[in-house]
Amino acid sequence: MFVLVVGGGKVGYYLAKELIESGHEVVLMEKDRGRAEQIADELGSIVVAHDGCEGRYLGEAGANRADIVTAVTGDDEDNLVICQMAKHHFDVRRTIARVNNPRNEALFRHLGVDEIISPTRMVLGSIEQDIPVHELLHLAALGGGELEIIEAHLQVDSPAVGRTPGDLTIPEGCSLFAVVRDGNPLPLRPDHVFRTGDKVIAIGRTECEELLHEQLIGSSS
Amino acid sequence: MSEARVPPFRRAVIALSGHPGNDRIVRIVSQLAQASKAELVGVHVVEVDWSQPLDADIAGRSEVAQRILDRAEEVAEGQGAALDAILLQARDVGAAIVDEAIEREADLLVLGLAYRMRFGGDFAIGRTIPYVLKNAPCAVWVVREPIPEEAS
Repeated sequence: MFVLVVGGGKVGYYLAKELIESGHEVVLMEKDRGRAEQIADELGSIVVAHDGCEGRYLGEAGANRADIVTAVTGDDEDNLVICQMAKHHFDVRRTIARVNNPRNEALFRHLGVDEIISPTRMVLGSIEQDIPVHELLHLAALGGGELEIIEAHLQVDSPAVGRTPGDLTIPEGCSLFAVVRDGNPLPLRPDHVFRTGDKVIAIGRTECEELLHEQLIGSSS
Repeated sequence: MSEARVPPFRRAVIALSGHPGNDRIVRIVSQLAQASKAELVGVHVVEVDWSQPLDADIAGRSEVAQRILDRAEEVAEGQGAALDAILLQARDVGAAIVDEAIEREADLLVLGLAYRMRFGGDFAIGRTIPYVLKNAPCAVWVVREPIPEEAS
């Protein structure tokens, strides 16, 4: 597989290194010439020392025949431009972008980036697993980010406590499918009565999140 | 064997860029090789950018590349030396030349350098020679061409 990695920071460097070691054909683009030379010294002649935001350089780096273009610079705007150009100008089958600001995730999805990796969101997810919060916890994204697996940790003031799944108004495009009680995963049955401390696992479209939040956690206000 | 009798090299790789100055380099190295019965390998590298696969049929169809190799063989023969001419296709000229020198266990690598100035007046050495100087395990000779009269 031919992978074009744009951005020669730590993520880009280690990504390229791992891919090469796995036997893939890799090109890494890094606009800082000094950094590009440093990476070339380590990884060989796979570095194109130009800005991946410029179409002609993206072309020189082989975007026209790349199976995957992955934009992992530290700049969300650059990553978006790179994926947009790869997708629409070079017809790349799969684009992957690093998103640093979680607020930009929706925009990236809306503009057709195939896969979004948000380190901020991942760290946040890990923190939320250990700290009870009155929010939904995002466990995983599926289907290119359109679907999410979500966990709701029911607190004492949750409107779902004391009710069954049938008593709740679950938004269309969303499904509750499991509950974790006292550390034990259980399939969600129609007669299950929710208790404080239950962790309810749902899968749903991202736009359902607000309604799901109201039903399981309570109103945001 | 006294030091004076040690041949300057046993197997030399000569980088052939196609520049007119190549003739001078091949001639000099052939004369030295002929005296010491050393082997000569002439390498011309066709660089392929990443927009094409490395195995794209480019070098094989290049008449220019073939002419460069033929000319080098001819010049070496004129000096009574045999030159093994090789055409390579690679992503980077410097890396390809160094790899070939390693593969062939060459003890000398010879490159030519045209006398050129960058805009602004700095001497231009390009990126291949610094790469080879840094990475080639064997001895490297860089033969700079004379300064053209209009530049001196």
